[in-house]
Amino acid sequence: MSGPALIPRISLTWLLAAQALVIIPHLLHVPTWLIPLWLVCGGWRIQIFRQRADYPRGWVKALLLVGVTAGVLLSHGTVVGLDAGVTLLLATFVLKLLEMKRQRDAQVLIYMGFFVVVTAYLFEDSLLSFAYSLLPISCLTAALIGLQQSRFNQRPWATWRLAAGLLLQALPLMLLLFVFFPRIGPLWSMPTPDVARTGLAESMSPADVAELSRSSELAFRATFDGPIPAKERLYWRALTLDDFDGRRWSQSSINRRANVFEPPWQKQGEVLDYQILMQPTGQPWLFALDVAEPAADVGRLQVDFRVQSAVPVEQAQLYRLQSWPEAVRQPQLPDVLRRLNLRLPSGFDPRTRAWAAELRQQYPDDQALVLALLQHFNREPFHYTLRPPVLGQHSNDEFLFATRRGFCAHYAGAMVVVLRAAGIPARVVAGYQGGEVNQTGNYLLVHQFDAHAWVEYWRPGKGWQSVDPTFEVAPERIEFGLEEALADEGSFLEGDLLAGARLRNIPLLNQLRLAWDELNYNWQRWVLGYQGEQQLRWLQSWLGTVDWQRLGLTLVAAVALLLMVLATWLLKPWQARPPAQQRYLQQVERLLAHLGVQRQTGEGARRFSQRAQVAIPAQAAVIKAFFQEYERQVFAGEQVDELALRAACQRLRRALPWWQRWR
Amino acid sequence: MLDTLEKAIASINHVVLGKEQQVRLAVACLLARGHLLIEDLPGMGKTTLSHALAKVMGLSFQRIQFTSDLLPGDILGTSVFDKNSGQFVFHPGPIFAELVLADEINRATPKSQSALLEAMEEGQVTIEGSTRPLPEPFFVIATQNPVSSSGTFALPESQLDRFLMRLSLGYPSPAAEKNLLMGVTRRELMQNLQPVLNHAQLATLQAEVPKVQAREAVIDYVLRIAEASRAQPQFAYGLSPRGALALLAAAKAWALLAGRAYVIPEDVQSVLPAVVGHRVRQQADASGHGGAALVQWLLREVPAL
Amino acid sequence: MRSLLAAQRARWQRWLNRRIPPAREVRLDQRRIFIIPTRQGLGFLLLIALLLIGAINYQNNLAYFLAFWLLSLFLVAILNTYRSLSGLVLRHLPSVPVFVGEQACLPLELIAERRSYQALALGWPPAQLSGADVEQGGNTRVELFLPAAKRGWLKPGRLRVESRFPLGLFVAWSWVDLDQQVLVYPAPMAGAIPLADHGAQDDDEGVRIIPAGVDDYQGLRTYQPGDNKRRLHWKAYSRGQGLLVKEFAGLAGRDVWLDFASASGGVEQRLSRLTHAVLTLHQQGHAFGMRLPGVELAPSDSASHRDACLRALALYGLPT
Repeated sequence: MSGPALIPRISLTWLLAAQALVIIPHLLHVPTWLIPLWLVCGGWRIQIFRQRADYPRGWVKALLLVGVTAGVLLSHGTVVGLDAGVTLLLATFVLKLLEMKRQRDAQVLIYMGFFVVVTAYLFEDSLLSFAYSLLPISCLTAALIGLQQSRFNQRPWATWRLAAGLLLQALPLMLLLFVFFPRIGPLWSMPTPDVARTGLAESMSPADVAELSRSSELAFRATFDGPIPAKERLYWRALTLDDFDGRRWSQSSINRRANVFEPPWQKQGEVLDYQILMQPTGQPWLFALDVAEPAADVGRLQVDFRVQSAVPVEQAQLYRLQSWPEAVRQPQLPDVLRRLNLRLPSGFDPRTRAWAAELRQQYPDDQALVLALLQHFNREPFHYTLRPPVLGQHSNDEFLFATRRGFCAHYAGAMVVVLRAAGIPARVVAGYQGGEVNQTGNYLLVHQFDAHAWVEYWRPGKGWQSVDPTFEVAPERIEFGLEEALADEGSFLEGDLLAGARLRNIPLLNQLRLAWDELNYNWQRWVLGYQGEQQLRWLQSWLGTVDWQRLGLTLVAAVALLLMVLATWLLKPWQARPPAQQRYLQQVERLLAHLGVQRQTGEGARRFSQRAQVAIPAQAAVIKAFFQEYERQVFAGEQVDELALRAACQRLRRALPWWQRWR
Repeated sequence: MLDTLEKAIASINHVVLGKEQQVRLAVACLLARGHLLIEDLPGMGKTTLSHALAKVMGLSFQRIQFTSDLLPGDILGTSVFDKNSGQFVFHPGPIFAELVLADEINRATPKSQSALLEAMEEGQVTIEGSTRPLPEPFFVIATQNPVSSSGTFALPESQLDRFLMRLSLGYPSPAAEKNLLMGVTRRELMQNLQPVLNHAQLATLQAEVPKVQAREAVIDYVLRIAEASRAQPQFAYGLSPRGALALLAAAKAWALLAGRAYVIPEDVQSVLPAVVGHRVRQQADASGHGGAALVQWLLREVPAL
Repeated sequence: MRSLLAAQRARWQRWLNRRIPPAREVRLDQRRIFIIPTRQGLGFLLLIALLLIGAINYQNNLAYFLAFWLLSLFLVAILNTYRSLSGLVLRHLPSVPVFVGEQACLPLELIAERRSYQALALGWPPAQLSGADVEQGGNTRVELFLPAAKRGWLKPGRLRVESRFPLGLFVAWSWVDLDQQVLVYPAPMAGAIPLADHGAQDDDEGVRIIPAGVDDYQGLRTYQPGDNKRRLHWKAYSRGQGLLVKEFAGLAGRDVWLDFASASGGVEQRLSRLTHAVLTLHQQGHAFGMRLPGVELAPSDSASHRDACLRALALYGLPT
C-alpha cells in the first residue's frame, strides 16, 4: 500500500458525496458559477475513474485556475476577506478533483473538506446546521477509510458505518477536550463574514423601526435568576439617539465614541440578575435593562448608560448582567451633555417649537410639563399604527397636529423635540420592549418586532427619567406586545408570512415552536456560549479552583482513562487471556525451570511431572499434587476450579526456598 | 473388568515373551475395533501373538496364508452346487472368523488383497449378489514382510490407511530369547491357554472406548499433530482426517487400558508411532518406510500442552 | 561507517530475534506490534492545528468541536490501527520449489480468530507489499512472490506485516520470521544429456538412451502417490475402475546414469544441463540414476525420484 496507490472506488464514492454535502450549506453565499464548475469537475473525475476520460493537461488546469481567480474577483471584487476566501477555497476544493490521482491527493482533498466544514460554521452555527454537518463529517471520514480499503471492496455502507463507529468512539474524548480545553482570546483578528443582518442601527428614522417591526427574527433571549419581571418593566436599552437632523435620529459623536467616561450613578433598590444570549448584530452594543453593571470581560458602561463590548458582536454572544432598575442616573449633568441634549436643528418644525414655548409658559415645572405632554398624547385622538401616512418636511409638526397616526418612533421623536424646545434635556432611547415568555424554559424571547423607542429626560438632582409616550397611546403595546396593539389593523408581521411567531394562535404548534426555540436557546447557551466566563464558572463548580496545572492534569488523566476504557472495549484482552490452567501451568513451569527442570515441547503434563519429581525429590509431593489437580481439570473434565489450582501452585512456591520463588 | 483385561494381557505375555508394549497396543487396537498390521520378518512371533490373542479373548481363529495364487474366493468363500438339494450352497471362507490372521498379505495379488481389505472396511461380504455379515467382533491381523522381495505387492497408502495400527515386533531381548529357548514350546503353551474374556465382556469393553473422555486440550493436541504433519516440508503428505480420528480412537482405547476415563497427551503419544507411522511419508524417501523418523519428530516438536 | 551500520543492523536483528523469535506460527500481540503515525497522520495533526487556530481566532465553539473531534479521532485511530493487526495469526505454509529465473511463491496463511482484518499488507521491502483481507473466524492463503535469482534455499528473511487501517493516520507493523523458504532448482539448460560412461560391460548396447523399463508390459496396479503420471491408465479411470498404473519391467543393467563428470561447462552450467536432463528423462518416462560428486541416486522413474535429483542439484556444493 506504499507507492503510488490508486484511489479505491469506495473512497471516491464517499469523497464525491462528502463534497456535495460540504458545498451545499455554502450555496447561499457563494457565487452561482461554482455549481456548474463543481458539476463539471465531478463528472470529469467520474469519467476518469471509468477510464473514459483523461486527467486534464497542464494548460487546462492553468486556464481553470486563472478562470476561477477571475471569477472570484468579479464576484467579490477582491480575493481577500472571508467571503472571497471561502469562494476561493471551495473552487480549489472542486478543482483539486481533477488533480486527484493518488492516495495522497485524495487525502489532501479530504482534509480540505474538513476545513470547508469549519468555514460553514462561521456563517451558520445553529443546531440544525451543526446536525447537518455531521453528514459531511461522516462521509469525509468514510472516504478516509475507503482509501485504505481493498479495491475490491464493494460495500460503501459498511465503510460509512465504520466511519460512524469511529466518530462515536471519539465522541467522549472530544467532549472531554471541549469541556476542559481552556478558551483563549483571539490570537489575531480575522475577517468576518458579511451577512445582511436586521436589527437596530446607529441612526433611526420612523421607517426603519417600521421595517424592523415586520421582522420575526430573534434579537436575543434572556434568563432571569429570579422571576421574570412584568412586561411593562422590560425596557431593553440598546443605545441612545441624541442627535436630530430634522428627519433622522442618530448618535452624537461624543455619544458614539466608546469609553469616554462612565457616567456617575447610584445603586438603589432591587437588583436583577439575568443572562442574555444575543444573536449576532454586527454592532458593538449589548442589550441591557437599566442600569447595568457589566463584568470587565463583557463590556463597559458608556456615557449614555448603554453597555458596549470591545468588539462588534459577530457571533451569538452570551453574557451575564446585574441591573438596578431604580438606580439614580447621572444626578449632575455636565454642560457638554446638557447642550447636546437640548440641541435642535434650525428650520424644522416651527409649529412644534411654538407649542413647546406655550407649554413652558403654562407649566414652569419640568415634571408638570412632561405629565401634561403625556396626557396630551393620551387625551387627543392619537392612533397607534404601523401604516402611518407619509410625512413631509416638518415631520413632527405634521405628526403632532395633522396626521396623529404613528408608532413608537414617531411618539418618542416628537416628544423629545417638544421637551428640548421647552428647554428640558431629553433623548430617544432605542432598544426592545417586552418579549415573549417561554413558559417551559422559563426565559424570555425578544424578537425584532419588539424593537421600541422611548424617551428619557433629565431632571436636576434626580437624573435621567424614562417615559414612554407610546404607552399613553397604546398601552396594550406595552402590556401585551405588538400583536395585541395591532389587532384591529391586522398589520402584525405583514411582510413575513412564514414567521414562526404567526403560529402563536395555534396552541399545539406554538408549543412546538417554543420547545424548538428552547432547544436552540440551550444549544446556544451551553454549546456555542461555552466560552470564557461560562466555561470558568462551570469548571469551578466541578473542580473547585481552576488553575492551569490542575486543568492540565485533569485533562490528561481523563483522556488517558477514556483511552484505556476504549482500549479495553476494543481489544477485549480477557478474550485473549489464556485459561487459568494454562496460566498456572506456565507459572509452575517457570518455577521448575529455575530449578533446572525444563519441560520439553512434546512433553505432556504427566511425564513432565514424573521427571520433575525425580529431579527434585524434596518437592515431589507438591509437584505431584499440582499436576494431579491440573490433569483433573484439563483432561478429566472436572469442574474448573481456579482456586484449587492456584492453591496447588502456591504450595509449590512456598515449598521452595525464598530466593527461588521469584526470579 | 479391567482386572480381567490385565489378566488377559498377562496370559498373552506369558506366551509372547518380552513384547509387553506390542501386546498392549494389539489389545488396544482390538478394543478400538480397528485392525492390525504387523510388519516383520518371518519367525518373529506374529502368528503366536495372533493365536494367543484369539485364545485369551475367546475368539474363533482362522489363518489365511496369502500367496500369489490366492483367489478372492479362497478368502471369502464360494457357492457350491449341492446335488442333494439341487441348490447352490454357500461355503463360507476363512474370513468368517472372529480373529483372522492374514499372513504375508503382500504376497497376494492386489485383487485378493482388496477382497480382504474391503471386507474389513465394510464389516460384511457380498458374494454373488447376497450380502453376508461378518462375525462380531471381527478383528484382522495382517502381516507383511518388510523387505519387498520379488513377487510381492506392497500395500498402497490407501489400503494401509485401513489398518488402525502398524506394529513391528522386532527381535526379542536376549533374556526373553533365552527364556524362549529354555522353556516349553510355544505350541504346548498355546494349548494350555484358557479364555479369560467372553464375548459379552469384550463387547462391553469395546463399547466403553468411545465413552472415554477426550477434552479440548487433547483434541487440540491431535489437531496440532495433524496440522504439523500437513505443514512441514519433510512430510510428503500429512495425516488425513481419518488418520486423526484413528489416532484419537486408539488413544481412547489406550486410556481405557490404563484404567482412566479420560485421555491425556501421553496416551496419544503412546499410540502415535503405531497409528501414524504408516500414514505419513517422508518427502525425500521414495520407498515409503521412513515414517518412524517423522513420528519421532512429531513427538518431539509438537507442543503437547 | 559501513561496518558501523552493519553492526547496528546486526544488533537490531538480534533484538528482533529476542523479541519476536522465529516460529512457524506467530500471533501478533503487543510485544510484536510497533506503531507510529504516518505522514498522512502528521498532515492530519497539521489540519487539526489549523482548525484550532481558526476556532481560537473566531471564538467559534463549533470549530473547536470539530478540531477536538478530529483530535480524538486521531487518538482513537491509534487503538484501532493497533487492533487491525493485533490477534492476527500468521502461519507458515510449505512452498513449491521453482527454477532460477522464475518467481518464487512463498505462501502463508493468515488466521483471524476473533475479528476480521482488512487491508493488511505483507511483503519484504523494498519489494511492494501485497494486500490481504481475512474474514472473522476464517483463514486466507496469501501468496507472496519473490524473484528466484540463485539456486539453493531462498530465504527472504523477516516478513513485514503492516496495517494502516482504518484511517491511514497510523501504521502498525511487525517483522515476523515464519521460517519461510523455497527451494530454487538450477535453471534448466538445453543440451546433450550428460550420460555416464559405462565402460566395457555395456559395450554391446552402446551409449544410447535405452527406453529402460518401458518395453515389457507387466500388468496394472493401483496408483500410489509418487508414481509417474504418464503411466496412468486413463482408460480404466474413465471406466470408473479407479486410478491404475501400467507396470513395466525394466531390464536390469540397462539403467541410465546421469553424471556430473560428463557434463560440459562450469559447475553452474553442468548443474543446469543436468537439470534439463532430469526433466527431459522424467518427462519421457525413463528411469535414470544420477551421480554428483559425493551424491549418488539410484535409478528410478518416479516423480519423487525426480524431485530428489533436482533437490540434490539445487543444493550441490552449498553449505547446509
